[in-house]
Amino acid sequence: MKVKIKRWHAVATWQWDVNDERCGICYTAFEACCPDCHIPGDDCPPVWGRCNHAFHMHCIMKWLNSQQNANKQTCPACRQKWEFRA
Amino acid sequence: MSTAARRRLMRDLKRLQSDPPQGVQGAPLDNNIMTWQAVIFGPDDTPWEGGTFKLLLEFTEDYPNKAPAVRFVTKMFHPNIYNDGQICLDILQNQWSPIYDVSAILTSIQSLLCDPNPASPANSEASRLYQDNRREYNRRVKEVVEQSWIADDDDDEDGDEEGEEEAGAEKEKGGAAGGGGQA
Ligand SMILES: [Zn+2]
Ligand SMILES: [Zn+2]
Ligand SMILES: [Zn+2]
Repeated sequence: MKVKIKRWHAVATWQWDVNDERCGICYTAFEACCPDCHIPGDDCPPVWGRCNHAFHMHCIMKWLNSQQNANKQTCPACRQKWEFRA
Repeated sequence: MSTAARRRLMRDLKRLQSDPPQGVQGAPLDNNIMTWQAVIFGPDDTPWEGGTFKLLLEFTEDYPNKAPAVRFVTKMFHPNIYNDGQICLDILQNQWSPIYDVSAILTSIQSLLCDPNPASPANSEASRLYQDNRREYNRRVKEVVEQSWIADDDDDEDGDEEGEEEAGAEKEKGGAAGGGGQA
């Protein structure tokens, strides 16, 4: 029983937000750029947190910078502390 | 000018129109996408049933990194709603996240109607009645439901004065009853 649950968990982790092609902050597609940019491309890439949620680089930076308290620099989707995935 | 906040609000509007949540409506004012009017309909099979409660949402250029200022325009009687219509709701304050949109805000407020949070009272009388005297609480809620229709009539030029007088009388009656209870 425990083994089964572990395996299921592994599958769930594998399927990170790759299905979700939109940035959850600005609601535009990752292949388009964030609302502050004009040209899609490498300047405005999606970035992943260690929690596996992805946002436009500019969108997540704007959110993190708007939080004065460092403890509040959390992932908008799951509220875990935001750390960029290497 | 098209800013990030305005573009996001356009997307909120599209989503609200293409995938409308049950029991809520919202749209920006004609010439200003930064201010929205919304209506929450009281959920069926609750004391709120039949009510049409109007709200105003004011967004800043920091949206969606900052929550909008939201308040009820319709007079409410609810443990977590102040007399001036301001709402005490965690996602509008310290639990705000930029993944929320207008749809999410309105549905959260709608569920707050029937599911108050007694831990953060904004209206002490409503809070007390909700906990100690649910019958009287429900009666007061039904009162604001009926007042919400009168307020609607105010929109038509005709029944204007009559409606206002009735609302005023109700208010005085409510105040007197409240004072008696406390003495
Ligand atoms: Zn984005
Ligand atoms: Zn960008
Ligand atoms: Zn996350």
